[in-house]
Amino acid sequence: MIPEVILYCSINMLCIVAIAPLFVSLIRKVKAWTQGRRGPSIFQTYSSLAKLVRKEVLYSHDSSRIMRVTPWVNIAAMLVAALFVPLVFVPVPFEGIGNIILFLYLMAVAKFFTALSGLDAGSSFGGMGSSREMSISAVIEPTTIIVFAALALVFKSLNIFDMVAASATEGLAHNPELILIGISLFIILIVETSRIPVDNPETHLELTMIHEGMILEQSGRNLALLELSSALRLTILMALLINIVAPLGVITTLTVAGLAIAAILFAVKSIILCGAIGIFESSMAKMRFFKIPGLFAMAFFFSTITIIIEVLS
Amino acid sequence: MIALLFVIGLIFLCIGIGLPLVTIQRDSRYLRTLSACCTVMASVLLSIAAAALIFMGGSAAFTLWQIAPGITLSFALDRLSSVFILIIALVSGCVAIYSTEYVEHLEGGSRRNLLCGCTNLFILAMVLVVASAGTLPFLLFWELMAGASFFLVMYDYTTPEVRKAGIFYLVMTQFSTLFILAGVIALFAITGSFEFSRMGGAAGMAGTMVFVFLFLGFSIKAGIVPFHKWLPYAHPASPSPISALMSGVMLKIAIYGLIRFLIAVFTPDLLQGLLILAAGIASAVLGIIYALKERDLKGMLAFSSIENIGIIFTGIGLYVIFQATGHDVLAVISLAAALFHSLNHALIKSLLFLTSGSVIHASHTRDIERMGGLSHRMPYTSALFFCGALAISALPPLNGFASELLIYIAFFSSIGALDPLLKILLILGLALFALASALCAACFVKTFGSVFLAQPRSEECQSAREVPGAMIAGPALLASGCVILGLLPLQFLELAGYPIPLFPNMLLIGILLLAMYGFSWMILRAVSHEPIRICPTWGCGYVTQRPAFEYTGEGFSEPVARIFSSIYRTQVQNEGTFADQKNCLFLEGRGGLHLMKIFEEYLYLPIAGFTYRTASLVSRFQNGCLDTYLLYVFCTVLGLILFLGVIA
Repeated sequence: MIPEVILYCSINMLCIVAIAPLFVSLIRKVKAWTQGRRGPSIFQTYSSLAKLVRKEVLYSHDSSRIMRVTPWVNIAAMLVAALFVPLVFVPVPFEGIGNIILFLYLMAVAKFFTALSGLDAGSSFGGMGSSREMSISAVIEPTTIIVFAALALVFKSLNIFDMVAASATEGLAHNPELILIGISLFIILIVETSRIPVDNPETHLELTMIHEGMILEQSGRNLALLELSSALRLTILMALLINIVAPLGVITTLTVAGLAIAAILFAVKSIILCGAIGIFESSMAKMRFFKIPGLFAMAFFFSTITIIIEVLS
Repeated sequence: MIALLFVIGLIFLCIGIGLPLVTIQRDSRYLRTLSACCTVMASVLLSIAAAALIFMGGSAAFTLWQIAPGITLSFALDRLSSVFILIIALVSGCVAIYSTEYVEHLEGGSRRNLLCGCTNLFILAMVLVVASAGTLPFLLFWELMAGASFFLVMYDYTTPEVRKAGIFYLVMTQFSTLFILAGVIALFAITGSFEFSRMGGAAGMAGTMVFVFLFLGFSIKAGIVPFHKWLPYAHPASPSPISALMSGVMLKIAIYGLIRFLIAVFTPDLLQGLLILAAGIASAVLGIIYALKERDLKGMLAFSSIENIGIIFTGIGLYVIFQATGHDVLAVISLAAALFHSLNHALIKSLLFLTSGSVIHASHTRDIERMGGLSHRMPYTSALFFCGALAISALPPLNGFASELLIYIAFFSSIGALDPLLKILLILGLALFALASALCAACFVKTFGSVFLAQPRSEECQSAREVPGAMIAGPALLASGCVILGLLPLQFLELAGYPIPLFPNMLLIGILLLAMYGFSWMILRAVSHEPIRICPTWGCGYVTQRPAFEYTGEGFSEPVARIFSSIYRTQVQNEGTFADQKNCLFLEGRGGLHLMKIFEEYLYLPIAGFTYRTASLVSRFQNGCLDTYLLYVFCTVLGLILFLGVIA
C-alpha cells in the first residue's frame, strides 16, 4: 500500500511542478485581457524560467550563505508541501503526510528564508520587502489558523487528504458552510501569493512591492527557482481551495476512467479559478499597506462565523 | 541504583562548589576549569538517572535528614521531576563547557572563582528543588536558588545598571517566595502535611485561596505578564552563561512547581484552567510584541522567554481544562506539550543566550542596531544562532515546531469536544497563539538579519573575530539536541509512553526536505553550467554601498509597531520655542518618541510607592533612644498580659 501511495504522491508532485508555470501565465493572460491587451503567450513563464536557468548567478559581496541556500530551501519546502495536496486522487494518508499544520509551517519555512535573503545583501529594497512580508504574514496567521481549525472542525480531521476525501464524498450540499470557508481561503490565497490588493507581482516600484523586493538581489538559476517556488505556492493553494470547496470529480478509488474525468474536471475548475483571480486582481487597486489588516479581519470574520455555525448546529 | 547515580551527581556538584571557593584568593584558571568539569560530570550522571526514570518508569526516594518528627528533608524522584532534572542537567553541562572559556574573558580576577562556585550552587539548588518530596525542602532550596541567582546577576556589581537590575530581581523573587510560603502554610493548615504525597484534595474557598497564592508565586518567578519586568532587566545584566541558566532552566523550575502542585494538591477546576490559559496567551502575545521592539539583544531574548513561558502555560491551562471536563486523552497531549516545550525551550533559549554571549563578546555591544555582517566574521556562531532562531520560530523539522504542533493538535481537537462557550474562548486563544507564533518568526528574522547579515554597522563589529572552541562546542551540543528532538519527537514521546495520534513522522519530513533539496540541486546542476559572479549590491544609482543604507532592525519592526500601536503606547513629545505668541514662527525645539513602560508606571510604581510610604510611617518608631525601646517592650508585655487575661 505504502509504495503505491509514495508513487502517487510523487506523480502528484511532478504534475503540480509541470502545471504551476501555466497557472501563472493564465492569470497574467486574464489580467491582460481585462486591461484590453493581448498579453504574452500562456507558455511565457516556461520560457522565462528556461532563460533564467541559462543566465549567470550574481552574488553581492556582503551576502552570506543564506542568499545561496534560500532558493533551494524554498523549492524543497514547496515540493514537500506539494506532496500534501492531492490534485485528482486521494490516497490514504500515512505517517502524517498531509497534516495541515505541518503544511502551513512548510510554507512558513520558505517565507522565513526568503525574508532573510532579502536582508542579506544589505539593500534597502530587500529589507523593505522582508519587513512588510513578515508583518503581513504575522497578521494573516490568526486568520489562516482559524480557517484551518474550521476545516478541521467541519471534516473532523487534521489531514488534508481526509478533508478532501470527506468533501468529495459528502459534497457541498452536506456542508454549506464551506462557501464561507471558501471566501476566507480565497483571501488567504491572494495574500500568500502576493497579489493585488496586498502586493503587486508585476511591479518593481519600491512603494508597492513586497515579494519582488525580497528577491530583487537574486539572479540566474536562483531566481528561476524562486519564481518556480512562488508558482508552486500558487498552484498548491489553488488546488487546496478547489478540492475542498468544489471537489466534484475527485476520486478516492483508482480507475482509469475516473482519473481521466477527474483530471479534465480539475483543469476546468482551475481555469475558472485562474480567471476569477485575474478578474479580482484587475478590478482592484493595490491597497495602502496599513489598510491590509482590515482585509484579514474579513477573512477572520467569515471563518469564525463558520466555526460558530458548526458549533451551534 | 538510580538514587545512587543521583547522589553521586550531587556530590560532584558539591565538589564543583567547594573547589573554587576554598581557594578564593587564588586567581587560577585551572581550578575554575576543574569546577566546570565537575559540573559536566554531574550533568552526565543526572541525565542518565533522569532518562532512565523517564523511559523505564519507576521512582527513587531517600531521606537526607530528619530534623524533627514530621519535618524531614526527603527527596523523591518520579517521572515528572525527572523531566525537569533532565532539563537542568542537559543545559548546565553545555553551559559549563561554554563558560570554561567565557569566564576567562571576564574581568574581575579571583571574583571569577566565586562566579564558578556560585553557578554550581545555583544548579545544585535547582536540582534539589525539583527532587524535593515535600514542601519544606522545596521552599528551602527555592530560596537557596533565588539567593544564588541573585549573586550571579550581581556579578558585575560596579555598574549602576546591574545593581538596579539585581535589586529589582531580588525584590521580585522575594515576592514570589512570599506567595509560595503563604500557599504552603495555608496548605499545611488545611491538610496538616508537608509531604506532596499527602496533600491531595484541597477544595472550596480555602483551596481557591491556596491556588491563587501559588499561582501568583510561580507566575512571578516564571515571568508571566504582568509580573515579567524583572526578566528584561536581569538577563542583560548577568553574564551570558548565567542568563542561559536563568532563562533556560530557572524559569522551568517555576513551571515544575506549578505542575507539581496542580497534580499533587488540586482537583482540576475549569476556572483555574482558564486563568492559567489566559495568563499564558497574554504572556505569549505581549512578550513577543515587546521583543520585536527591543534593541538590546539579550533583552530581546528575555522577552522571547516570556513568550515561550506563555506557550508552556497555555499547555498547562489546556491540561487543567481538559482534566476538568473529562477529556483524558487531550489532557495527556496538553501536558506532554507543556513538558516537551519546557525541554525544547530550555535547549533553544540557552543556545541563543550562549551564542549571543559570543556575539556580544566579539562585538562589544548589546545593541542590535550596532551589529551586522557577523556571519562572515563568526561563521560557526552565526550558524548555531541560526539553528536556534529556526527552532524558536517553530519551523519544521526542528524541536520548537514539534512541541507547538502538540499544542495545536490539542487546540484543534478540543474544538470538537467541548461545550459552545468554551469552544469560542478556545478559538480566540488559538488565534492569539497563532499570532504569537508568527510574530516570533518576524522577530527572529529581524534579529538574525540585523545581527549577522549585510554590512557591519560599527567599528567593533568590523573587527569582530570568531570565538574560541569551547564557546562553540557548548552551543553546538545544544543545537544538535534541538535537531535530534526535532527529527524524532514522535519516537521520544512513544518511548516515554505517550503515543500521540495524529502526530506526523518528522524524521520522514526531514528526509523528504533533504531529498527534495538534493533532487532539485542535482537537476539544476545538470541543466545549468553558468558561472557565479561576485559583485556589489545594487545601490539604486549610488556607487558605493554603505551600512547606513541598510534596513535597520527598528525600521524592520516598524509596520508591526504601527499595526499594534495601541499595545505599545508610544508617547509623542514635542516641545519648541517660538518667536511669536501664537506659536507660528518656529525657532528651535525637539521631538521624541518614547515607549511607555505601562506595567512599571501603572502597576509596579504604585505598589512600590505605597510600600515606601508605609515603611516611612513605621520608621518613625525608630528613634535610636534606648528609653523609647524599653517603653515599647514594656507596652508589649503589658498588652500581652492584658490580652491573655481577656482570653483566659
